[in-house]
Amino acid sequence: MEAAKTGMGSDEAKKWGRLLQQVAHDRDRAAFREIYEYFAPRIKAYAINQGIGQQADELVQEVMTSVWRSADKYVDTLASPSTWIFTITRNQRIDLLRKLGRLKAEINVETEDLWQIPTEEDTTIHSIQALAAEKHIRHSIKQLPEEQLIAVRKVYYEGKTHQEVATELNVPLGTLKGRLRLSMQKLKVMLESKDL
Amino acid sequence: MSNHHPDDITMLDYAAGTLPMAQSLAVAAHLFLCETCRTRTTQLNTLGGAVLEQSSPQQIKVQEFDRFMDGIDDESVAAKAAVPKAKNGNPLAKILPERFSDINWRQQTKEIAEYDLTKSLGLKGYRVALQKIKAGARVPEHTHKGRELTVILSGGFSDELGVYHEGDFVSRDATHQHTPTALQNEDCICLTVLDAPIRFTGPLLRWLNPLFAWR
Repeated sequence: MEAAKTGMGSDEAKKWGRLLQQVAHDRDRAAFREIYEYFAPRIKAYAINQGIGQQADELVQEVMTSVWRSADKYVDTLASPSTWIFTITRNQRIDLLRKLGRLKAEINVETEDLWQIPTEEDTTIHSIQALAAEKHIRHSIKQLPEEQLIAVRKVYYEGKTHQEVATELNVPLGTLKGRLRLSMQKLKVMLESKDL
Repeated sequence: MSNHHPDDITMLDYAAGTLPMAQSLAVAAHLFLCETCRTRTTQLNTLGGAVLEQSSPQQIKVQEFDRFMDGIDDESVAAKAAVPKAKNGNPLAKILPERFSDINWRQQTKEIAEYDLTKSLGLKGYRVALQKIKAGARVPEHTHKGRELTVILSGGFSDELGVYHEGDFVSRDATHQHTPTALQNEDCICLTVLDAPIRFTGPLLRWLNPLFAWR
């Protein structure tokens, strides 16, 4: 829980990046084991929080398979390893929900086209800026007021609709939206004040 | 360069993967044309990465890794795992002809044509279409029951609230009545995503309602 509170420093991010590289270049199973042992339990927790506990093992399987197979697509100047793994996890979760027929308005467009994962081909995202922002966001979320952080977590991590979160927190929908909006503004202000 | 973007909450829901797919299509179409919002998205993804790290991990059995590795090279077991593809691609590329001029437009009035994507996208409860407004032409005043997202793919238009150009993302709801007018120099082509029918409000134009109605 201690490590869970503080999150990853940039040294940590470098370590995971190195491990991913070893997986990509050398198909290094020991390196992959380290990645697996850190991320698999967190992906499982994400699945449970998203209300798809029954498919938690399947989600872990899918994500870790993608990581193993696509480690060479990870670009360390674009995102930290955990951000990259998050985007894969999110997309696989959506795919899983689609397969289960749990998403309402289905659409004949592939998940990976709707939620594209940035790669080095996209040179318009300034990599230095992306990484500096990354470091900064990690720091900034710790400074969000508790009630805003809870709202963001529920939307982001638990995949709940605004209405569901509002009901759960026993606040009007407008209040909840206000908290989300404020938290986004705060993160933005903190980013901009850094002159990225 | 786009000047009108999705609001923060729409972007948050999109990055969290909870925004409905039809609306996510509009956001993705905008991202393809907007560098600023691609950067915003990477920042929001970071938020996701940080939240993932900071979660309390669930127990996973020690032998699970070995079992996982036993199956990992077996293509048949893991083939379904989608591998992220390298691209910043146009999300509409697979559903539209290569050129707008190849589109089988359906003329609705002399100045407005439409290409309805709702059916080919297999959507229910939403309406997704491309609209083509002749240069300088005006769409009759209307309002929306739900939310209308518009992404300008080519040209531009103006309405009571502003002037919009290629790449811009415009969100309108029941509180807005507007009369979009295409800019003078070229036809305006937009992607529109509606979660409820629009209503024409001008007294002489109500006859248009059935034409534009929910199908």
